[in-house]
This record gives sequence, structure tokens and C-alpha cells, in this order.
Amino acid sequence: MSALTAVVAINTFREAVRDRVLYNLVLFALVMIGAAILVGQISIGIDRLVIINLGLSAISLFGLVMAVFIGVGLVYKEIEKRTLYSLLAKPIGRQQFLVGKYAGLLLTLAVNTALMTIGLAGALFYVGRPFMRSDLSILVAVYLILLELALVTALALFFSCFSTPMLSTLFTLGIYLTGSFAADLREVGDLTRSPLLKGFMRALYYLLPNFHNFNAIAVAAHGETIPFSLVAQNTLYACAYVTVVLLAAAAVFSRRNLK
Amino acid sequence: MTFGGQSRSLWTAIAFIPILLVAIAALQQRIDAQTSTIAKEQEELLVRSGRVAKNLSLGYDSLLADVYWTRAVQYYGGRVGLPGATFDLLWPLLDVTTTLDSHLMPAYRFGAIFLSEQGEVGAGRPDLAIELVKRGIAANPGEWRLQTDLGFLYYWRVRDYKNAAAAYWQASKNPAAPVWAKLMAARIAQKGGSIETSRMIWSELYESTKDPNVKKIAAQQLLSLKAQDDQAHLDKLAAEYAKRFGHDPASIQDMVAAGLLTGVRRSRRIRLRARARREIAFKSKQSYGHRAARRSRSPLDPQSRRPFARFLVTSRGSRGNENPLQ
Repeated sequence: MSALTAVVAINTFREAVRDRVLYNLVLFALVMIGAAILVGQISIGIDRLVIINLGLSAISLFGLVMAVFIGVGLVYKEIEKRTLYSLLAKPIGRQQFLVGKYAGLLLTLAVNTALMTIGLAGALFYVGRPFMRSDLSILVAVYLILLELALVTALALFFSCFSTPMLSTLFTLGIYLTGSFAADLREVGDLTRSPLLKGFMRALYYLLPNFHNFNAIAVAAHGETIPFSLVAQNTLYACAYVTVVLLAAAAVFSRRNLK
Repeated sequence: MTFGGQSRSLWTAIAFIPILLVAIAALQQRIDAQTSTIAKEQEELLVRSGRVAKNLSLGYDSLLADVYWTRAVQYYGGRVGLPGATFDLLWPLLDVTTTLDSHLMPAYRFGAIFLSEQGEVGAGRPDLAIELVKRGIAANPGEWRLQTDLGFLYYWRVRDYKNAAAAYWQASKNPAAPVWAKLMAARIAQKGGSIETSRMIWSELYESTKDPNVKKIAAQQLLSLKAQDDQAHLDKLAAEYAKRFGHDPASIQDMVAAGLLTGVRRSRRIRLRARARREIAFKSKQSYGHRAARRSRSPLDPQSRRPFARFLVTSRGSRGNENPLQ
């Protein structure tokens, strides 16, 4: 990442903080505190399970909302406010601007996720359970959520390059939902007798981002180990997909007439 | 870097997109291979309560029911026929599906089959299948097909003929139901030993149907029921005979001769033989009577140990009512 890209990224992060994006942490904290107090009162033996499930789900959900709703406005807002023109008048390329914006939002999400993870740890501590080695799988699950958010952010940014925020939101959420059920698409194809449909579904399965890959919440909640090779493969997968989407975004944005 | 240079490098990078996509597909295959075993172990249904799922559906419960039903089909389809296959999540999936949409007929009808099949082709839980179909009937009282499905489950899966006949009979009350529902009710009631119920249904069917074939079947079945009745009656008489004489009757004629069975039209051969015996008896009556008189005993004494004399006494009065159906 060049210095110019880093400048754009840091300013994007600052902008998000100024926009009180991190206020969602207050809501997250309230949810975790409420869950930690309530679960112990109304249930037996599953307090830890519920806290982990709820905490990781909240991290994923809050992050997803942020990635989509901030991501779709990343470029569009700059064009609408005409701040992009003054920016591009400086010695910075459109691709650098895009990557900077992407990195800035990713940084925001990473900070947000890290703070929420600390909140989750606090809630687990509150329910009176010492931390164990198996809790490392919670951190791995958080990392996988972050990879998922990186992919969603890239998609939101891509749509933001040529569409309105409303449509970009619909497109991004649509791909997210379809990608979450990608395995079902493949199974539907396998159940049909048409080789054409089967081939189409299989192609779709490999073409769509498979968000199911990044879901390790249940594994983490049960304290099971997530293999390192799986984490590495998911990392590579996310990197490759993000690269493809950002290249596509750059291709679209570089040809866009900003006059 | 100049703008032109940046653009060139961008397009060069874009040219690598197909390679990246192939790499993504290859990675996905590796991830699938690694997660398939984990997925099998971790398979679980987070929302098992239909009521909770309904609340979470935010009004899209019908759509969510379709999703759950599709998942149930995929779950079943993915396991059916596999050695040692278990179907633990089938009932929760169907439970949630039918709670979300109580009018989703395929979920009740096919779900009941999935649940009731035994071995590697089903969950082997006919009790849950019956519960599912009963739930469907409660939510869709006008659906005669669910009643016949219930009858099928009772008949084939749990061999409960009484409830099976009742279910088919209930189905047949629906004006839209086909005539075979009533036929099934009658047949199953007959098979299950409920002769009176079966007779009532066959009689009703005989009276109400306009189809000559069905009428003929009903008439045949009524005759068959009559035969079953008669058989039971004969068994009872044979037991009485055995009690009285210490051995089973060798033929119907023995019971006729014993006076237990009346109204039986004897065959011509038997009638001729009986007549010959009477004539012999008549001819020997005098000489025998004389000898008996000498021993101060009546020749027609039923307590006599002579079987021929006993035959003469007990066979008397056995003729007259010749209605074979009585």
C-alpha cells in the first residue's frame, strides 16, 4: 500500500469515527450485558454457549450492517459531495483512492470487531468461567467473521462505483444472502436430473462468494478446534475474491465519467 | 506513475481475473473437502421451535416454511439409502415447517412417508408420522387425503386396523373423497375383525353406490361376511359337540345328527343313506325291540350305547327349515 493510499484509508477511518459509527458498540455492550445477566436466570448449563453464540452473531451482524451501509456510500458520497474532484486533482490515482477507501473501512471494521471481541470476553468473564485454551477458537471465529466482512465491503464498494446507495445495498445484501446459501444451490443442482441445470448450479456455486465458509460460530461455541489449514485456505479464498472484486471495481471506476 | 501507466497496469491485472477465479474454485473445493466431515458432526438445527421460527420470520412465515420444507427434503434426500443413515433432524424440520405454514400439504403427506419408512429409507417413526398427519387434519379438516394417509399409516405401519378403518371411514364422509375410501374402510374393518362395522359400511356402500361394479363387490363382501359369521357359529357348535360327546365332530352331519345344527339341507347321497338307515332300522325294529324288551330297555333310549339308535333319536326333527343362510 502506498503512502497516499494509507492517507486515504486513515481519513476514511477518521470520517467513520466522526460519523459516530462506533456508537454501535454501546448497543453491543447492552446486548452482551443483558444476555450475561438474563441467561443465568432463565436457563441452566448453556450460559456460556448462549453468550458465545450471541456475541459472535452480534459481531457478524453489526459488522455486516456497517460494511454494507458504509461501503455503499464510500464512493457515491464522495461524488455527491464533490470532494472526489478536489481529491483526484492531487497526484493520486483512482485505483489508489479506491483501495484507500476500502482499507479505511476495513480498518474501521477491524477496530469495531476488536472492541466487540473484548466485550464478548468481558461477558464470558462475568458469567464466571475461566478462560481455556479452547477459547482460542472464538478468536479464530472472529477472524473468519472479519474475512467475511472484508468480502462484503469489497462487494459494497464495487456496487458503489456505478450505482446509487439504495441499489448497491440491495445488490450487496442479495449477493450476501445468495452466497450464504451457496451450498444449497449446489445441492439443488445435484438433486435435479438435468445435467445442464446441474452444471449451471455448480458454476454458480463456485462463482458466488461462499459466505458459509466463514461461519465457525457453532464450532467455536462448542469449544472445538478449527484446523489451521482451513483458516489458511479461507484466508486465501477471501484474499483472492477481494482482489477480483477490487479489480472489477477499479476497472469500472477508472472508466467512469465524472464530469 | 503516470495515469496512462496506472491504467495499463490495471488492465494487466484485470487480465488475471480468470486465473484468480479458477484459483477461487480450487480453494473452494479444498475447503469443501475439509469441512464436509466437520459439517456432518456439527449438523444441527438452531431453531427447533416452530413458534420461535414463526416469530422470527417477521411475517414471511409462509416463505420460511417453504425454505424449511426444502431443507427437510434435502436432508432426507441426502441420507436416504446410505448405510446406517439416521434422520434425527427430520422431525424438528417438519415440525417447524408445519408450524410456520399449517396448510403446506406436501409437508404432511411426504413428511409422514419420510418419518414412517423403516431402515435406511426413513426415520422409522410411524408414531411421529401419525402425529404429523393428525396435526394436518386438525389444521385442514376438509382434506380427505390426509385422512386416507392416516388410514394408510395405521393400516400398514402400525397394523391398527380399527383406527385405520375409522380414518378411511372419516375420509369417505367427505363428498370429494373417492369411493375407494369407503371400500378401504370396509375391507380393513373386516380384516381387523370388526365384522359389524364392516357389515355396516358394506351395506351402506351397497345401498348408496350407483356403480354396478362397486355394488357387486359390496354384495360379494356381504356374503363373505355372512360366511364368516356362519363359520364362527359352526366353530361354536363344534365346541359344544366336543363338550357333549368328548370328541370333535367328523363332519357337519355329525352336528346335524346331534341336533346342534338345524336347517341344513343334506345332500342327495346323505339323504338316501339316511333313508336306507331308517328303513333298516324300521325292519330291524321289531326283532331288536323284542330283544330290548327282554332287557327292559327302550330301543330308542338316547342313553343307549348303541350308536345307530342314538343316531335315530338325535337326527329326528332336523329337517324342515332349509334356508341355507340361517
